[in-house]
Amino acid sequence: MDLVRDLLDNKVVDRNGREIGRVDSIVLEIRDGAPPRIAALEVGPAVLASRISPVFGRIVSGSEHVFGVDEGRPLRIQVGSILDITDHVKVDVAAGQTCAAAVERYLRRWVSRIPGAS
Amino acid sequence: MTVLVDLILGVVTSIGGFVEVGSISTAAQAGSEFGFQLLWAIAAATIMVAMLAEMSGRLAAVSRRSIAAAVRERFGIHFQYIPLGAELLIDVLLLAAEVGGAAIAVKLLTGIGFQWWILPIGLLVWLVLWCCGFSLIEYGLGLLGLVTLSFVVSAWWLKPDVSDLARALVPTLPQHDHVRYAFLAVSILGATVSPYLLNFYSSGTIEEQMTEKELWVNRVTAYMGMCFGGVVSMGVLVTSAMVLGPRHITVDSYEQAALMFVPVFHQWAVVLFALSLGIGCFGAAVEVTLNAGYAFSQALGWPWGANKPRRDATRFVAAFTLVLALGVAIAVVGFDPLRLTMIALALTVVIMPLVVLPFLVLMNDPTYVRRHTNGPIGNGLLAVITVLAALLAIVVIPLEVMGG
Repeated sequence: MDLVRDLLDNKVVDRNGREIGRVDSIVLEIRDGAPPRIAALEVGPAVLASRISPVFGRIVSGSEHVFGVDEGRPLRIQVGSILDITDHVKVDVAAGQTCAAAVERYLRRWVSRIPGAS
Repeated sequence: MTVLVDLILGVVTSIGGFVEVGSISTAAQAGSEFGFQLLWAIAAATIMVAMLAEMSGRLAAVSRRSIAAAVRERFGIHFQYIPLGAELLIDVLLLAAEVGGAAIAVKLLTGIGFQWWILPIGLLVWLVLWCCGFSLIEYGLGLLGLVTLSFVVSAWWLKPDVSDLARALVPTLPQHDHVRYAFLAVSILGATVSPYLLNFYSSGTIEEQMTEKELWVNRVTAYMGMCFGGVVSMGVLVTSAMVLGPRHITVDSYEQAALMFVPVFHQWAVVLFALSLGIGCFGAAVEVTLNAGYAFSQALGWPWGANKPRRDATRFVAAFTLVLALGVAIAVVGFDPLRLTMIALALTVVIMPLVVLPFLVLMNDPTYVRRHTNGPIGNGLLAVITVLAALLAIVVIPLEVMGG
Protein backbone atom coordinates (compact mmCIF):
# COMPACT_ATOMS: atom_id res chain seq x y z
CA MET A 1 0.00 0.00 0.00
CA ASP A 2 1.18 3.48 -0.87
CA LEU A 3 0.19 5.64 2.09
CA VAL A 4 -0.14 8.89 0.20
CA ARG A 5 -1.92 7.37 -2.79
CA ASP A 6 -4.14 4.82 -1.05
CA LEU A 7 -4.80 6.26 2.39
CA LEU A 8 -4.15 9.97 2.73
CA ASP A 9 -7.12 12.16 1.63
CA ASN A 10 -9.45 9.16 1.28
CA LYS A 11 -12.93 9.24 2.74
CA VAL A 12 -13.42 7.95 6.29
CA VAL A 13 -16.77 6.40 7.21
CA ASP A 14 -17.94 5.05 10.55
CA ARG A 15 -19.14 1.52 11.27
CA ASN A 16 -22.59 2.45 9.97
CA GLY A 17 -21.27 3.94 6.73
CA ARG A 18 -21.78 7.57 7.78
CA GLU A 19 -19.20 10.10 6.61
CA ILE A 20 -16.72 11.22 9.28
CA GLY A 21 -14.42 13.20 7.01
CA ARG A 22 -11.22 12.44 5.14
CA VAL A 23 -7.82 11.16 6.22
CA ASP A 24 -6.34 14.59 6.76
CA SER A 25 -3.09 13.34 8.24
CA ILE A 26 -1.31 10.08 9.10
CA VAL A 27 0.61 9.63 12.35
CA LEU A 28 3.66 7.40 12.02
CA GLU A 29 5.48 5.71 14.87
CA ILE A 30 9.27 5.68 14.54
CA ARG A 31 10.86 2.59 16.07
CA ASP A 32 14.52 1.80 16.77
CA GLY A 33 15.87 -0.71 14.32
CA ALA A 34 12.51 -1.32 12.67
CA PRO A 35 10.64 0.42 9.85
CA PRO A 36 8.14 3.14 10.86
CA ARG A 37 4.55 2.01 11.19
CA ILE A 38 1.19 3.71 11.12
CA ALA A 39 0.02 4.64 14.61
CA ALA A 40 -3.16 6.55 13.78
CA LEU A 41 -5.15 8.55 11.26
CA GLU A 42 -6.19 12.13 11.94
CA VAL A 43 -9.37 13.85 10.77
CA GLY A 44 -9.97 17.56 11.23
CA PRO A 45 -9.81 20.84 9.34
CA ALA A 46 -6.95 22.20 11.47
CA VAL A 47 -4.52 19.39 10.56
CA LEU A 48 -5.66 19.63 6.95
CA ALA A 49 -5.04 23.38 6.93
CA SER A 50 -1.61 22.93 8.54
CA ARG A 51 -0.65 20.66 5.64
CA ILE A 52 -1.24 23.62 3.33
CA SER A 53 0.56 26.08 5.61
CA PRO A 54 1.35 26.11 9.35
CA VAL A 55 -0.07 29.64 9.63
CA PHE A 56 -3.34 28.57 8.00
CA GLY A 57 -3.45 25.62 10.41
CA ARG A 58 -3.10 27.94 13.39
CA ILE A 59 -5.84 30.21 12.04
CA VAL A 60 -8.23 27.26 11.67
CA SER A 61 -7.45 25.81 15.12
CA GLY A 62 -7.79 29.32 16.59
CA SER A 63 -11.24 29.64 14.99
CA GLU A 64 -12.24 26.24 16.41
CA HIS A 65 -11.18 27.50 19.85
CA VAL A 66 -13.20 30.72 19.45
CA PHE A 67 -16.34 28.75 18.55
CA GLY A 68 -15.74 26.28 21.37
CA VAL A 69 -15.48 23.24 19.11
CA ASP A 70 -11.80 22.44 19.65
CA GLU A 71 -12.08 19.89 22.44
CA GLY A 72 -10.37 16.66 21.51
CA ARG A 73 -9.75 17.81 17.94
CA PRO A 74 -8.33 16.68 15.62
CA LEU A 75 -9.98 13.28 15.84
CA ARG A 76 -7.27 10.64 16.17
CA ILE A 77 -8.28 7.15 15.06
CA GLN A 78 -5.95 4.43 16.33
CA VAL A 79 -4.83 1.98 13.71
CA GLY A 80 -6.56 -0.86 15.59
CA SER A 81 -9.92 0.79 14.93
CA ILE A 82 -9.56 0.53 11.16
CA LEU A 83 -12.03 -2.10 9.98
CA ASP A 84 -11.43 -2.05 6.25
CA ILE A 85 -9.61 -0.06 3.59
CA THR A 86 -11.18 -0.15 0.13
CA ASP A 87 -11.82 3.01 -1.87
CA HIS A 88 -12.68 4.47 1.54
CA VAL A 89 -11.56 3.78 5.09
CA LYS A 90 -14.09 2.17 7.42
CA VAL A 91 -13.40 2.64 11.11
CA ASP A 92 -14.94 1.18 14.24
CA VAL A 93 -16.37 4.35 15.79
CA ALA A 94 -19.75 6.12 15.68
CA ALA A 95 -19.48 9.38 13.72
CA GLY A 96 -22.05 11.24 15.81
CA GLN A 97 -20.17 10.60 19.04
CA THR A 98 -16.74 11.70 17.90
CA CYS A 99 -15.25 15.17 18.10
CA ALA A 100 -15.14 15.16 14.27
CA ALA A 101 -18.87 15.90 14.42
CA ALA A 102 -18.44 18.79 16.88
CA VAL A 103 -19.06 21.44 14.21
CA GLU A 104 -22.02 19.46 12.85
CA ARG A 105 -23.49 19.32 16.38
CA TYR A 106 -22.72 23.00 17.00
CA LEU A 107 -24.47 24.04 13.79
CA ARG A 108 -27.38 21.67 14.41
CA ARG A 109 -28.42 23.75 17.41
CA TRP A 110 -29.13 26.60 14.96
CA VAL A 111 -30.24 24.67 11.92
CA SER A 112 -32.77 22.54 13.86
CA ARG A 113 -34.67 25.67 14.87
CA ILE A 114 -35.51 26.52 11.26
CA PRO A 115 -38.79 24.93 10.14
CA GLY A 116 -38.27 22.07 7.71
CA ALA A 117 -34.85 21.06 9.00
CA SER A 118 -35.79 17.41 9.36
CA MET B 1 -40.66 3.95 -19.68
CA THR B 2 -39.20 5.61 -16.59
CA VAL B 3 -35.85 5.80 -18.35
CA LEU B 4 -37.52 7.51 -21.31
CA VAL B 5 -39.24 10.03 -19.03
CA ASP B 6 -35.92 10.67 -17.23
CA LEU B 7 -34.22 11.12 -20.57
CA ILE B 8 -36.77 13.59 -21.89
CA LEU B 9 -36.87 15.51 -18.60
CA GLY B 10 -33.08 15.56 -18.52
CA VAL B 11 -32.81 16.98 -22.03
CA VAL B 12 -35.64 19.48 -21.55
CA THR B 13 -34.25 20.77 -18.25
CA SER B 14 -30.77 21.07 -19.74
CA ILE B 15 -32.23 23.28 -22.47
CA GLY B 16 -34.18 25.34 -19.93
CA GLY B 17 -31.15 25.69 -17.67
CA PHE B 18 -28.57 26.50 -20.34
CA VAL B 19 -28.95 30.23 -20.71
CA GLU B 20 -28.13 32.50 -17.78
CA VAL B 21 -26.55 35.87 -17.11
CA GLY B 22 -23.24 35.04 -18.78
CA SER B 23 -24.56 33.53 -21.97
CA ILE B 24 -27.19 36.24 -22.45
CA SER B 25 -24.76 39.10 -21.92
CA THR B 26 -21.90 37.68 -24.00
CA ALA B 27 -24.11 36.56 -26.89
CA ALA B 28 -26.02 39.87 -26.89
CA GLN B 29 -22.78 41.87 -26.97
CA ALA B 30 -21.22 39.62 -29.60
CA GLY B 31 -24.30 39.92 -31.84
CA SER B 32 -24.64 43.68 -31.52
CA GLU B 33 -20.92 44.34 -32.17
CA PHE B 34 -19.89 41.63 -34.67
CA GLY B 35 -23.13 40.37 -36.25
CA PHE B 36 -23.18 36.60 -36.69
CA GLN B 37 -19.39 36.42 -36.79
CA LEU B 38 -18.93 34.92 -33.29
CA LEU B 39 -21.49 32.15 -33.77
CA TRP B 40 -18.59 29.68 -34.10
CA ALA B 41 -17.48 30.52 -30.54
CA ILE B 42 -20.88 29.47 -29.16
CA ALA B 43 -20.83 26.31 -31.27
CA ALA B 44 -17.30 25.37 -30.14
CA ALA B 45 -18.03 26.16 -26.47
CA THR B 46 -21.25 24.13 -26.63
CA ILE B 47 -19.51 21.05 -28.02
CA MET B 48 -16.86 21.45 -25.34
CA VAL B 49 -19.37 21.73 -22.49
CA ALA B 50 -21.34 18.76 -23.85
CA MET B 51 -18.16 16.63 -23.85
CA LEU B 52 -17.23 17.76 -20.35
CA ALA B 53 -20.75 17.21 -19.00
CA GLU B 54 -20.84 13.70 -20.43
CA MET B 55 -17.47 12.95 -18.82
CA SER B 56 -18.56 14.38 -15.43
CA GLY B 57 -21.66 12.17 -15.49
CA ARG B 58 -19.60 9.14 -16.54
CA LEU B 59 -17.06 9.69 -13.74
CA ALA B 60 -19.84 9.99 -11.17
CA ALA B 61 -21.92 7.07 -12.45
CA VAL B 62 -18.96 4.67 -12.56
CA SER B 63 -16.87 5.79 -9.56
CA ARG B 64 -19.73 7.11 -7.36
CA ARG B 65 -17.59 10.17 -6.78
CA SER B 66 -18.06 13.76 -7.76
CA ILE B 67 -15.16 15.64 -9.36
CA ALA B 68 -14.28 17.49 -6.13
CA ALA B 69 -14.16 14.23 -4.17
CA ALA B 70 -12.15 12.41 -6.83
CA VAL B 71 -9.63 15.26 -7.22
CA ARG B 72 -9.05 15.33 -3.44
CA GLU B 73 -8.42 11.58 -3.40
CA ARG B 74 -6.33 11.39 -6.54
CA PHE B 75 -4.24 14.55 -6.19
CA GLY B 76 -4.44 15.40 -2.47
CA ILE B 77 -5.13 18.68 -0.76
CA HIS B 78 -1.80 20.25 -1.80
CA PHE B 79 -2.96 20.25 -5.37
CA GLN B 80 -6.67 20.73 -4.78
CA TYR B 81 -6.72 23.86 -2.67
CA ILE B 82 -5.70 26.11 -5.56
CA PRO B 83 -8.32 25.01 -8.15
CA LEU B 84 -10.95 24.60 -5.43
CA GLY B 85 -10.22 28.05 -4.04
CA ALA B 86 -10.30 29.56 -7.54
CA GLU B 87 -13.55 27.76 -8.32
CA LEU B 88 -15.17 29.01 -5.12
CA LEU B 89 -13.98 32.56 -5.84
CA ILE B 90 -15.52 32.41 -9.30
CA ASP B 91 -18.67 30.85 -7.85
CA VAL B 92 -19.01 33.85 -5.54
CA LEU B 93 -18.45 36.38 -8.37
CA LEU B 94 -20.77 34.51 -10.69
CA LEU B 95 -23.38 34.26 -7.97
CA ALA B 96 -23.23 38.02 -7.45
CA ALA B 97 -23.67 38.47 -11.20
CA GLU B 98 -26.59 36.01 -11.38
CA VAL B 99 -28.38 37.58 -8.42
CA GLY B 100 -27.73 41.00 -9.99
CA GLY B 101 -29.11 39.77 -13.33
CA ALA B 102 -32.26 38.39 -11.66
CA ALA B 103 -32.68 41.70 -9.76
CA ILE B 104 -32.44 43.65 -13.02
CA ALA B 105 -35.09 41.37 -14.51
CA VAL B 106 -37.45 42.20 -11.62
CA LYS B 107 -36.59 45.87 -12.08
CA LEU B 108 -37.60 45.63 -15.75
CA LEU B 109 -40.95 44.19 -14.66
CA THR B 110 -41.67 46.52 -11.74
CA GLY B 111 -39.71 49.70 -12.41
CA ILE B 112 -38.31 49.61 -8.87
CA GLY B 113 -34.47 49.92 -8.63
CA PHE B 114 -32.60 46.59 -8.86
CA GLN B 115 -30.66 47.13 -5.60
CA TRP B 116 -33.92 46.66 -3.69
CA TRP B 117 -34.38 43.19 -5.14
CA ILE B 118 -30.99 41.70 -4.38
CA LEU B 119 -31.65 40.70 -0.76
CA PRO B 120 -35.13 39.24 -1.44
CA ILE B 121 -33.73 37.24 -4.37
CA GLY B 122 -30.83 35.99 -2.24
CA LEU B 123 -33.35 34.91 0.38
CA LEU B 124 -35.49 33.18 -2.23
CA VAL B 125 -32.43 31.27 -3.52
CA TRP B 126 -31.74 30.11 0.03
CA LEU B 127 -35.39 29.11 0.58
CA VAL B 128 -35.42 27.01 -2.60
CA LEU B 129 -32.24 25.26 -1.44
CA TRP B 130 -33.63 24.78 2.05
CA CYS B 131 -37.02 23.41 1.02
CA CYS B 132 -36.50 21.48 -2.21
CA GLY B 133 -34.91 18.15 -3.05
CA PHE B 134 -32.56 17.78 -5.99
CA SER B 135 -35.14 16.68 -8.58
CA LEU B 136 -37.50 19.52 -7.78
CA ILE B 137 -34.65 22.05 -8.03
CA GLU B 138 -33.33 20.59 -11.27
CA TYR B 139 -36.59 19.87 -13.07
CA GLY B 140 -38.59 22.80 -11.64
CA LEU B 141 -36.03 25.43 -12.60
CA GLY B 142 -35.28 23.72 -15.92
CA LEU B 143 -38.95 23.65 -16.94
CA LEU B 144 -39.48 27.29 -15.91
CA GLY B 145 -36.32 28.10 -17.87
CA LEU B 146 -38.03 26.99 -21.09
CA VAL B 147 -39.23 30.60 -21.31
CA THR B 148 -35.71 31.29 -22.65
CA LEU B 149 -36.83 29.53 -25.83
CA SER B 150 -38.29 32.94 -26.70
CA PHE B 151 -34.75 33.78 -27.92
CA VAL B 152 -35.02 30.93 -30.44
CA VAL B 153 -38.53 32.02 -31.43
CA SER B 154 -37.39 35.59 -32.02
CA ALA B 155 -34.35 34.50 -34.04
CA TRP B 156 -36.61 32.25 -36.15
CA TRP B 157 -39.12 35.05 -36.66
CA LEU B 158 -36.45 37.45 -37.88
CA LYS B 159 -35.63 35.01 -40.73
CA PRO B 160 -31.82 35.17 -40.79
CA ASP B 161 -30.09 34.10 -43.99
CA VAL B 162 -29.21 30.43 -43.40
CA SER B 163 -26.06 30.60 -45.54
CA ASP B 164 -24.82 33.55 -43.46
CA LEU B 165 -25.40 31.53 -40.30
CA ALA B 166 -23.58 28.51 -41.75
CA ARG B 167 -20.61 30.69 -42.81
CA ALA B 168 -20.41 32.12 -39.26
CA LEU B 169 -19.84 28.63 -37.87
CA VAL B 170 -16.33 28.77 -39.35
CA PRO B 171 -13.99 31.02 -37.32
CA THR B 172 -12.87 34.16 -39.14
CA LEU B 173 -10.95 37.27 -38.09
CA PRO B 174 -12.93 40.51 -37.74
CA GLN B 175 -12.43 43.68 -39.78
CA HIS B 176 -12.20 45.82 -36.64
CA ASP B 177 -11.54 45.61 -32.87
CA HIS B 178 -9.47 42.43 -32.78
CA VAL B 179 -8.96 42.62 -29.03
CA ARG B 180 -12.66 43.06 -28.31
CA TYR B 181 -13.45 40.16 -30.66
CA ALA B 182 -10.99 37.85 -28.89
CA PHE B 183 -12.23 39.01 -25.48
CA LEU B 184 -15.82 38.21 -26.43
CA ALA B 185 -14.81 34.80 -27.82
CA VAL B 186 -13.05 34.03 -24.53
CA SER B 187 -16.04 35.28 -22.50
CA ILE B 188 -18.46 33.15 -24.51
CA LEU B 189 -16.31 30.12 -23.68
CA GLY B 190 -16.27 31.15 -19.99
CA ALA B 191 -20.03 31.66 -19.98
CA THR B 192 -20.70 28.25 -21.49
CA VAL B 193 -18.10 26.10 -19.74
CA SER B 194 -18.46 27.27 -16.14
CA PRO B 195 -16.37 25.22 -13.70
CA TYR B 196 -19.37 24.98 -11.37
CA LEU B 197 -21.29 23.17 -14.07
CA LEU B 198 -18.91 20.19 -14.11
CA ASN B 199 -18.97 19.46 -10.40
CA PHE B 200 -22.69 20.23 -10.31
CA TYR B 201 -23.32 17.75 -13.11
CA SER B 202 -21.30 14.99 -11.43
CA SER B 203 -22.95 15.66 -8.06
CA GLY B 204 -26.38 15.59 -9.73
CA THR B 205 -25.58 12.19 -11.25
CA ILE B 206 -24.90 10.89 -7.73
CA GLU B 207 -28.01 12.58 -6.30
CA GLU B 208 -30.09 10.88 -8.98
CA GLN B 209 -28.36 7.55 -8.26
CA MET B 210 -27.47 6.95 -11.88
CA THR B 211 -25.48 3.75 -12.37
CA GLU B 212 -22.97 2.42 -14.87
CA LYS B 213 -25.83 0.72 -16.75
CA GLU B 214 -27.39 4.11 -17.51
CA LEU B 215 -24.29 5.63 -19.08
CA TRP B 216 -26.09 5.86 -22.41
CA VAL B 217 -28.81 8.00 -20.75
CA ASN B 218 -26.07 10.26 -19.43
CA ARG B 219 -24.50 10.50 -22.89
CA VAL B 220 -27.75 11.30 -24.69
CA THR B 221 -28.84 13.82 -22.02
CA ALA B 222 -25.49 15.60 -21.99
CA TYR B 223 -25.08 15.87 -25.76
CA MET B 224 -28.71 16.58 -26.70
CA GLY B 225 -29.43 18.87 -23.74
CA MET B 226 -26.27 20.92 -24.15
CA CYS B 227 -26.47 21.14 -27.95
CA PHE B 228 -30.10 22.27 -27.92
CA GLY B 229 -29.17 24.63 -25.08
CA GLY B 230 -26.43 26.05 -27.31
CA VAL B 231 -29.13 26.79 -29.89
CA VAL B 232 -30.83 29.06 -27.31
CA SER B 233 -27.55 30.96 -26.84
CA MET B 234 -27.27 31.24 -30.62
CA GLY B 235 -30.82 32.61 -30.62
CA VAL B 236 -29.65 35.44 -28.36
CA LEU B 237 -26.73 36.23 -30.67
CA VAL B 238 -28.80 36.10 -33.86
CA THR B 239 -31.60 38.25 -32.41
CA SER B 240 -29.10 40.78 -31.11
CA ALA B 241 -27.22 40.82 -34.44
CA MET B 242 -30.39 41.39 -36.45
CA VAL B 243 -32.09 43.89 -34.15
CA LEU B 244 -29.43 45.79 -32.21
CA GLY B 245 -26.53 45.63 -34.69
CA PRO B 246 -28.16 47.51 -37.62
CA ARG B 247 -29.41 50.20 -35.19
CA HIS B 248 -25.89 50.63 -33.72
CA ILE B 249 -27.14 49.81 -30.23
CA THR B 250 -24.30 48.33 -28.16
CA VAL B 251 -25.17 46.37 -25.06
CA ASP B 252 -23.67 48.24 -22.08
CA SER B 253 -26.60 47.37 -19.83
CA TYR B 254 -29.27 44.70 -19.61
CA GLU B 255 -31.95 47.32 -20.21
CA GLN B 256 -30.50 47.87 -23.68
CA ALA B 257 -30.35 44.14 -24.32
CA ALA B 258 -34.12 43.97 -23.67
CA LEU B 259 -34.66 46.08 -26.80
CA MET B 260 -33.74 43.10 -28.98
CA PHE B 261 -37.20 41.58 -28.43
CA VAL B 262 -39.18 44.66 -29.53
CA PRO B 263 -39.53 43.94 -33.30
CA VAL B 264 -40.79 40.39 -32.65
CA PHE B 265 -42.74 40.51 -29.39
CA HIS B 266 -43.78 44.20 -29.42
CA GLN B 267 -45.53 45.11 -26.14
CA TRP B 268 -44.53 41.74 -24.64
CA ALA B 269 -40.86 42.34 -25.40
CA VAL B 270 -39.76 43.63 -21.99
CA VAL B 271 -41.85 41.09 -20.07
CA LEU B 272 -40.50 38.14 -22.06
CA PHE B 273 -36.92 39.39 -21.90
CA ALA B 274 -37.23 40.00 -18.15
CA LEU B 275 -38.71 36.54 -17.56
CA SER B 276 -35.99 34.88 -19.66
CA LEU B 277 -33.22 36.81 -17.93
CA GLY B 278 -34.78 36.50 -14.47
CA ILE B 279 -35.54 32.78 -14.54
CA GLY B 280 -32.24 31.96 -16.28
CA CYS B 281 -30.25 33.92 -13.68
CA PHE B 282 -32.25 32.68 -10.72
CA GLY B 283 -31.84 29.06 -11.80
CA ALA B 284 -28.11 29.54 -12.25
CA ALA B 285 -27.84 31.30 -8.86
CA VAL B 286 -29.47 28.28 -7.19
CA GLU B 287 -27.15 25.87 -9.01
CA VAL B 288 -23.97 27.87 -8.30
CA THR B 289 -24.86 28.12 -4.60
CA LEU B 290 -25.69 24.43 -4.37
CA ASN B 291 -22.46 23.54 -6.14
CA ALA B 292 -20.40 25.59 -3.69
CA GLY B 293 -21.96 23.54 -0.88
CA TYR B 294 -21.28 20.34 -2.82
CA ALA B 295 -17.65 21.15 -3.63
CA PHE B 296 -16.76 22.21 -0.08
CA SER B 297 -18.43 19.21 1.55
CA GLN B 298 -17.12 16.67 -0.93
CA ALA B 299 -13.53 17.92 -0.71
CA LEU B 300 -13.64 17.77 3.10
CA GLY B 301 -15.60 14.50 3.34
CA TRP B 302 -18.69 15.96 5.04
CA PRO B 303 -22.21 14.58 4.53
CA TRP B 304 -23.83 16.40 1.60
CA GLY B 305 -26.86 16.29 -0.65
CA ALA B 306 -29.96 18.26 -1.52
CA ASN B 307 -32.00 15.13 -0.76
CA LYS B 308 -30.66 14.78 2.80
CA PRO B 309 -32.61 16.21 5.74
CA ARG B 310 -30.90 19.54 6.38
CA ARG B 311 -30.25 18.78 10.07
CA ASP B 312 -28.17 15.75 9.02
CA ALA B 313 -25.89 17.82 6.79
CA THR B 314 -25.50 21.08 8.69
CA ARG B 315 -21.97 21.81 7.46
CA PHE B 316 -23.20 21.47 3.88
CA VAL B 317 -26.01 23.93 4.68
CA ALA B 318 -23.53 26.28 6.36
CA ALA B 319 -21.17 26.11 3.35
CA PHE B 320 -23.79 27.05 0.77
CA THR B 321 -25.30 29.67 3.06
CA LEU B 322 -21.90 31.30 3.54
CA VAL B 323 -21.14 31.39 -0.19
CA LEU B 324 -24.61 32.76 -0.93
CA ALA B 325 -24.15 35.45 1.72
CA LEU B 326 -20.80 36.47 0.17
CA GLY B 327 -22.27 36.59 -3.34
CA VAL B 328 -25.26 38.64 -2.21
CA ALA B 329 -22.96 40.97 -0.25
CA ILE B 330 -20.91 41.68 -3.40
CA ALA B 331 -24.12 42.29 -5.39
CA VAL B 332 -25.43 44.63 -2.67
CA VAL B 333 -22.22 46.68 -2.66
CA GLY B 334 -23.38 47.67 -6.09
CA PHE B 335 -20.91 46.67 -8.77
CA ASP B 336 -22.33 47.02 -12.23
CA PRO B 337 -23.77 43.51 -12.78
CA LEU B 338 -22.82 43.41 -16.48
CA ARG B 339 -19.19 44.33 -15.77
CA LEU B 340 -19.03 41.85 -12.89
CA THR B 341 -20.32 39.14 -15.21
CA MET B 342 -17.70 39.85 -17.85
CA ILE B 343 -14.87 39.78 -15.27
CA ALA B 344 -16.11 36.50 -13.75
CA LEU B 345 -16.38 34.89 -17.19
CA ALA B 346 -12.93 35.93 -18.37
CA LEU B 347 -11.39 34.69 -15.08
CA THR B 348 -13.23 31.42 -15.55
CA VAL B 349 -11.27 30.78 -18.73
CA VAL B 350 -7.96 31.60 -17.01
CA ILE B 351 -8.52 28.95 -14.32
CA MET B 352 -10.09 26.44 -16.71
CA PRO B 353 -6.88 24.40 -17.28
CA LEU B 354 -6.59 23.96 -13.48
CA VAL B 355 -10.04 22.40 -13.47
CA VAL B 356 -10.12 20.57 -16.79
CA LEU B 357 -6.61 19.04 -16.95
CA PRO B 358 -6.77 17.13 -13.62
CA PHE B 359 -10.29 16.10 -14.57
CA LEU B 360 -8.93 14.60 -17.81
CA VAL B 361 -6.34 12.67 -15.77
CA LEU B 362 -9.20 11.18 -13.72
CA MET B 363 -11.08 10.31 -16.89
CA ASN B 364 -8.09 8.23 -18.03
CA ASP B 365 -7.56 6.45 -14.72
CA PRO B 366 -9.19 2.98 -14.69
CA THR B 367 -9.27 3.11 -10.86
CA TYR B 368 -12.06 5.66 -11.25
CA VAL B 369 -13.76 5.00 -14.58
CA ARG B 370 -12.76 1.35 -15.07
CA ARG B 371 -13.07 0.46 -18.76
CA HIS B 372 -14.93 3.70 -19.58
CA THR B 373 -11.79 5.79 -20.04
CA ASN B 374 -11.68 8.70 -22.51
CA GLY B 375 -10.71 8.32 -26.14
CA PRO B 376 -7.79 10.26 -27.66
CA ILE B 377 -10.05 12.76 -29.45
CA GLY B 378 -11.84 13.88 -26.28
CA ASN B 379 -8.57 14.12 -24.36
CA GLY B 380 -6.64 15.94 -27.05
CA LEU B 381 -9.35 18.35 -28.08
CA LEU B 382 -10.24 19.43 -24.56
CA ALA B 383 -6.64 19.74 -23.36
CA VAL B 384 -5.57 21.82 -26.37
CA ILE B 385 -8.64 24.12 -26.41
CA THR B 386 -8.49 24.69 -22.66
CA VAL B 387 -4.82 25.65 -22.63
CA LEU B 388 -5.06 27.80 -25.78
CA ALA B 389 -8.14 29.60 -24.46
CA ALA B 390 -6.45 30.28 -21.11
CA LEU B 391 -3.38 31.71 -22.87
CA LEU B 392 -5.62 33.86 -25.06
CA ALA B 393 -7.52 35.02 -21.96
CA ILE B 394 -4.29 35.99 -20.19
CA VAL B 395 -3.34 38.12 -23.20
CA VAL B 396 -6.69 39.75 -23.95
CA ILE B 397 -8.05 40.47 -20.45
CA PRO B 398 -5.44 43.16 -19.63
CA LEU B 399 -5.80 44.61 -23.14
CA GLU B 400 -9.58 44.74 -22.82
CA VAL B 401 -9.43 46.24 -19.32
CA MET B 402 -6.93 48.89 -20.45
CA GLY B 403 -8.89 49.57 -23.65
CA GLY B 404 -12.25 49.58 -21.85
